[in-house]
Amino acid sequence: MRPFKPLFILEVFFDLLPFLPVTLLILAGSVFFSSLLGLILARAKIAGRKISRLLSNTYIAVMRCTPPIVLLFIVYYGLPELLFSTIGVDINSIEKGIFVLVTFSLLFGATMSEIMRSAYESIDKGQREAAVSIGLSPFQAFYRIVLPQAVAVALPNFSNLLINLMKDGSLAFTIGLIDIMGKGSLIISENFGSYALETYIALALIYWGLTLMIERSFNMLEKSLSKGKKSIAG
Amino acid sequence: MELNIEYMIDTFFLALTGVPATLSITAVALLVSAPIAFFMAISKIYNIKIIKQVVTGYVSFIRGTPIVLQILIIYSLLPSLFNAIVKNMGWNINIFDMNPIIYAYIVFSLNTCAGLSEIFRSALLTVNKGQLEAALSIGMSPVQAYIRIIIPQALVSAIPNVCNLTINLIKGTSLAFMMTVKEVTAIAKIEASYGYNYIESYLDILFIYIILCSIIQLLFALVEKHFVSYRAFSGSAAKAI
Amino acid sequence: MLELINIHKAFKNNAVLKGVNIKVKKGDVVVILGPSGSGKTTLLRCINFLERADKGEIIFDDLHVNINNASSSEISKIRKKTAFVFQNFNLFNNKTALENVTEGLIVARKVPKAEAIEIARKALSKVGLSNRENYYPSMLSGGQQQRVAIARAIAVNPDVILFDEPTSALDPELTGEVLSVMKQLAREGITMVVVTHEMSFARDVANHIVFMDGGIIIEEGPPEEIFLNPREERTKQFLSRILPPVENYAI
Repeated sequence: MRPFKPLFILEVFFDLLPFLPVTLLILAGSVFFSSLLGLILARAKIAGRKISRLLSNTYIAVMRCTPPIVLLFIVYYGLPELLFSTIGVDINSIEKGIFVLVTFSLLFGATMSEIMRSAYESIDKGQREAAVSIGLSPFQAFYRIVLPQAVAVALPNFSNLLINLMKDGSLAFTIGLIDIMGKGSLIISENFGSYALETYIALALIYWGLTLMIERSFNMLEKSLSKGKKSIAG
Repeated sequence: MELNIEYMIDTFFLALTGVPATLSITAVALLVSAPIAFFMAISKIYNIKIIKQVVTGYVSFIRGTPIVLQILIIYSLLPSLFNAIVKNMGWNINIFDMNPIIYAYIVFSLNTCAGLSEIFRSALLTVNKGQLEAALSIGMSPVQAYIRIIIPQALVSAIPNVCNLTINLIKGTSLAFMMTVKEVTAIAKIEASYGYNYIESYLDILFIYIILCSIIQLLFALVEKHFVSYRAFSGSAAKAI
Repeated sequence: MLELINIHKAFKNNAVLKGVNIKVKKGDVVVILGPSGSGKTTLLRCINFLERADKGEIIFDDLHVNINNASSSEISKIRKKTAFVFQNFNLFNNKTALENVTEGLIVARKVPKAEAIEIARKALSKVGLSNRENYYPSMLSGGQQQRVAIARAIAVNPDVILFDEPTSALDPELTGEVLSVMKQLAREGITMVVVTHEMSFARDVANHIVFMDGGIIIEEGPPEEIFLNPREERTKQFLSRILPPVENYAI
């Protein structure tokens, strides 16, 4: 059996880390855009007309069934075609990262909207009623009273989404994006396929570490939000 | 944008031949993991010293790493590992002739164990402790109590989550092509490379997965209906996030 | 001061208010009684547009609003002249008691923060909860929460306070503390419209009783009249079920 060189795991770490910002940047961008999409979809489901609700529901159901890698390829091959044939714009030379962003924003926008919707709906309607009954405008009631409470409810689900987004984002290397996974692929081919296992293990450890950090941060965030609010009088 | 519809229809039916592989990976993963995941859940609930630590670490690793990496790790580790074992034992088997789907079975079972154990653990915790106490006090053994009283009740809350896990599992199998397994994605990809009809192929794959996913959701909804019949509360498999 | 004219409201196909007229004078303590489903809570909620009536008019001092085409600024004006105390308190969970009381002042009425805090503290001390101003609702008992809710209502200095079954969600031993706060407010001349089942409050504190059933007002009048000498049969039936049979009522 080909020798296993544990020390290589450590060595390759330092080659991979400079590309971590790419991974994180894609993550941040996807979170941002999927939140926007999620807002639109959630609003359509909560307050929209029948047709908006139907479209929103259909979109969410389809995205739920879509494997990330399939969507990635559809966007990567399909979007340039689509844009070229409809509005004549050639985007074949743009950054691979854009395709990745589009893919995961579309995909996780659906999950985001469900998180937002269920958090919003879990807040008692009486909170809004009390707010408007002392004179707050409907927007003030939402922004100052309902939203803060909804965010607190959504946090655990949001941290899950973040972790899943990061993990699915690891597929970006399949279209050639050079994030840590992409760099890992390059390293492996530079070594003619040897030390593949060590490289993958290093990558796995990095992702594992990131996941643990995200979980820990959100735990602390949740704790600090509910400090002083624990129920003493049952 | 021109879509070669004829090509799409042909490829659709060709890709369908990959569905049995997809489904077999899913089924094997679920069936193999279920008992193991159950014991993993028990070990966590009952705080069984060392096993609990191992389980916790294992679950954390599996859930903290992308499945693509798990696939790549197993695929770069196992064939040569098995080869070394076979050579050592002096058996006359060519490991590299083995159907790569075996590796898929292994990876996805390992992966499913982790997720399933967490689902079982939280489902078991939803069952009122008093149920177990009552069962024991009328003379049932712990095993009987679990099989006849606890597990059926835990199932109700587990079903929506298992449905979710299954859907994610099926989506995950789309990556098995990296191990040269001839499932849906692999077949469509190969077809695409002949004529560069990538978009049509991938749209076909998407359709197949949507169909599979909808069938799964329907099945689970039916299963849930059957189990919920004796319970006032109802969750919904289709609404689980 | 406040008059509701010909209020109609239906939910889906169910007519809940079928032409209700009610007048409230300054300083009145109006108690609305009636069996469940009579529409009394809906009527109350129509006053500050938590429910939007289908038809009718509201006259509030110099504000004359036709419910059909009530603009959001008219609704906002009405809400700034009223305050509502809910059956399940509806204190803002993400704010302390003090913040709950100052919210309406600071955000809706642009009162400067220092002044708002002073007003809030006075309100909280009036309901006897000065020492709880930094507590979150989850840390307060039901009775305490409802008293904070009342403080929240009085702090904005409304022309009329609307109470929707303020004690129904409370354990029996906690209703007393809330009722005594309400009695105190009544003695100070605050205008109140109260939907309640607390007959002692209706008898002792109210100066006008309105009995509703089936979406209309069956009978109204001063407590002595309604309780001792009800004219309508339905009123008599309702009272006989609610009140224990008494020979002699000394008020």
